[in-house]
Amino acid sequence: MSLFRKVLVANRGEIAVRVVRALRDLGIASVAAYSDADRASLAVQLADEAAHLGASPSSESYLRIDRVIDAAKRHGAEAIHPGYGFLSENAEFADACAAAGIVFIGPPAGAIRKLGSKTAARQLAIAAGAPVVPGTERALSSWEEARAAANSLGYPVLLKASAGGGGKGMRRVDRESELQAALRDAASEAGRAFGNSDVYVEKLVEEPRHIEIQILGDHHGRLIHLGERECSIQRRHQKVIEECPSPLMSSHPDLRQKMGQAALKVARAAGYTNAGTVEFLVDGNVDHGPNFYFLEVNTRLQVEHPVTELATGLDLVEWQLKIAAGEPLTLKQTDVTWRGSAIECRIYAEDPDHDFMPAPGTVVHLSEPAGPGIRLDSGISEGWNVPLEYDPLLAKLAAWGPTRETAIRRLDRALSEYVLTGVRNNIAFFREVLADTDFRGGRLSTLFLDRFFKRRKKLEADPEFEAAAALVLALASRRAEVPRRDIRRWLESGREELLR
Amino acid sequence: MKRQVMVNGRSANIEIDGSQLRYVRDEGVEIEGEFSLEGTSVLMNGRSYRVSKGAGTEIWVNGRRLTMEVFDSRDLRPGQCATANHGRQEIAASMPGKVIRVLVAAGDTVEEGQGLVVVEAMKMQNEMKSPKAGRVAEVRARPDATVGAGEILVVVE
Repeated sequence: MSLFRKVLVANRGEIAVRVVRALRDLGIASVAAYSDADRASLAVQLADEAAHLGASPSSESYLRIDRVIDAAKRHGAEAIHPGYGFLSENAEFADACAAAGIVFIGPPAGAIRKLGSKTAARQLAIAAGAPVVPGTERALSSWEEARAAANSLGYPVLLKASAGGGGKGMRRVDRESELQAALRDAASEAGRAFGNSDVYVEKLVEEPRHIEIQILGDHHGRLIHLGERECSIQRRHQKVIEECPSPLMSSHPDLRQKMGQAALKVARAAGYTNAGTVEFLVDGNVDHGPNFYFLEVNTRLQVEHPVTELATGLDLVEWQLKIAAGEPLTLKQTDVTWRGSAIECRIYAEDPDHDFMPAPGTVVHLSEPAGPGIRLDSGISEGWNVPLEYDPLLAKLAAWGPTRETAIRRLDRALSEYVLTGVRNNIAFFREVLADTDFRGGRLSTLFLDRFFKRRKKLEADPEFEAAAALVLALASRRAEVPRRDIRRWLESGREELLR
Repeated sequence: MKRQVMVNGRSANIEIDGSQLRYVRDEGVEIEGEFSLEGTSVLMNGRSYRVSKGAGTEIWVNGRRLTMEVFDSRDLRPGQCATANHGRQEIAASMPGKVIRVLVAAGDTVEEGQGLVVVEAMKMQNEMKSPKAGRVAEVRARPDATVGAGEILVVVE
């Protein structure tokens, strides 16, 4: 086996820790790249070597291609793991690595380019035969064209700005009588927001679920999928809870293979290698479905990869390293099996009671959960100052169980053990979500959290909790007498006596 | 030991006597019983609680966050009492409340321990006492005025 001797981790936070751990497991030396703010990060502390990139802003550190390549050269790293975010989906960076004779641990630059733009990826998916959300794709030139398109798609439809993003210029239309006014509003809103009033029409996916397929491909032509992750629980279009299997699979056992095959078609058409994720929107159509539609491809390791690892027993980072080193994927599709249920929640420094506003601060007290079925991927330690410069993800807490119910119970138990003070976070909020009957019943959609907030009840403060807290504060000034420990009994007695 | 408690904007009282505790919210809820405290572990009437202090006034109990401050109700001590009692002394409110009575006027001669101002906080009246013998240089407190924690009420020279 000729894997690398030394690898630079061009990332930070929990994912840098995750990659450093994988490297140590494989006997590969690790170099943690860091910015000023991350000088004392957990990743830097756990890595064999550390390389300074620059000032705290990402534009001065983690996004600087020249400095990352230079750091790898200085430390003699043969390969770079980009993690997620930052330079991980940057084709120019992949090219720069190749030019410097360093292995980029990820897909080829060509595949990143083909899948980088949403519209180009959609065209590629259509050509490869993967289903996409039906729509006109081109801008509507007239009201008549819009009416004909909407009628052939079937209501409800969604009008979207061609130059769009962030919901601007987007209109739901439920019947033909609303179409003309909606078209006019959407076009003028798009014109104001983007300076381009082009609008197209798409079939509205009702009760959409976000379900994605993990893929893995080597440089020898083998490409497999590792099943799905359901990531429908989102706030501000960002996933916060992910699970494998999707609760939808128990009632639709053939859906995983269908989606898996569609994902592989797209990956094959793009010439994909290494780990990647093909994202789909799945509707709640119980009569003819569920139907799934291609969204986009994330050409990197995904934040939520641990749920796939827990359910399949595979180590995705290990496979990324092996594939990048040119090793063949020795797994066949039929070797991949799914066992039990895994569920993960993302622990963020944010305030769930105030629209999930990021909340920087210093970690005062940290006591992390453990025990049966628990996996914690954390990037923090006590005294850690959560920097303002980056995404406020602190850790990912995942649980595995033989059933979804057991996994949820274990996750809830672990959340109850988790002490993280000094920084506002969403730990307590997740316990509320896990207790929700719709969540327990697997009735998920990307609209879940909005609805959850509407029915959420304010928790009553427990007087016993208050009494316990007041007790601690009232007695805080009282000096504890630390008794001198007499260890003679340990030294003099035999093991037998101590175990009695 | 008796202490006043401000928790999530409400007030309460706690009394601790040996291993006995009595916690009373202003609206009447009462917790009473035996406790033991070791580090972050609280046992109260046989139930177990995990208490960790956070930043500022936040405190976490079994994963729930509270904002809480505990005040010594016996003596709402003058702000500068930790320093030596000579020179100019500013007597400040140690918690938010309302001025009930002003007992001195500027220019008055006062003895150490003489009452200066009565402040009501959390339904308790507290007499702020002079930390030294001297002359009242300034009276900033006005009857019925609401004062914040740290606000200077009287200056004694």
